[in-house]
Amino acid sequence: MGWSGLRGLPVKNRLKELREAQGWSQGALADRLDVSRQTVNALETGRYDPSLPLAFRIARLFGAPIEAIFDPEQDDPAGVGTAGAGLR
Amino acid sequence: MTSDLDIARSAGDRARARAYYRDFAPAIGGYTLVMLAVLAWGGLDGDAPSRFVWALLPLLPALLVVRAVARHLRRIDDYQQTLLLRGLSAGFAVAMASAITLGLLEAGGLHVQGGGWFVYGAGMAGWGGAAFAGCR
Repeated sequence: MGWSGLRGLPVKNRLKELREAQGWSQGALADRLDVSRQTVNALETGRYDPSLPLAFRIARLFGAPIEAIFDPEQDDPAGVGTAGAGLR
Repeated sequence: MTSDLDIARSAGDRARARAYYRDFAPAIGGYTLVMLAVLAWGGLDGDAPSRFVWALLPLLPALLVVRAVARHLRRIDDYQQTLLLRGLSAGFAVAMASAITLGLLEAGGLHVQGGGWFVYGAGMAGWGGAAFAGCR
């Protein structure tokens, strides 16, 4: 189970699709985001959800809003996420 | 599909690795040299009080190793920090469990020769095991 699973709300993302559309390798994207290639791989495979600053850097790099790149897998009718779920 | 380019380290990865080795190599080299000096001239088998100073000398370069890891921790990104800290946490937990086990055995009258090194080895193995699991 990855860190996303531990926090309770897995988040899907289009990072791989967007990266490949640009013709970038994971390493090239990592350099543009100032993170490691391992981190890009973890993001693309859903093992890691980015911090807010990193999510903003990704959104800025691809010229898209965060919600166009990241999408919670589960419906959240209350619209409040599962904040605090990991603290139970 | 994963291409060859996807498994190559980025320029940033290589720069961070180089910076880490620049810190780590002299520290571990110094540790090795001091250990050899202690074994050669420390007189650890004797009874001179100075042998305790000799015995503690390797702590100085060992602190440089700790410094290298701490500086590396500051250089890497959030995800890598999480993996490294998770590994360190696992190593700490294993070391504590080992120390308690040894303490209880000694309370029962069983003296384990080199018990401190056993605790150290167990902690490092815990760290390494957690790091390996995190990379998979």
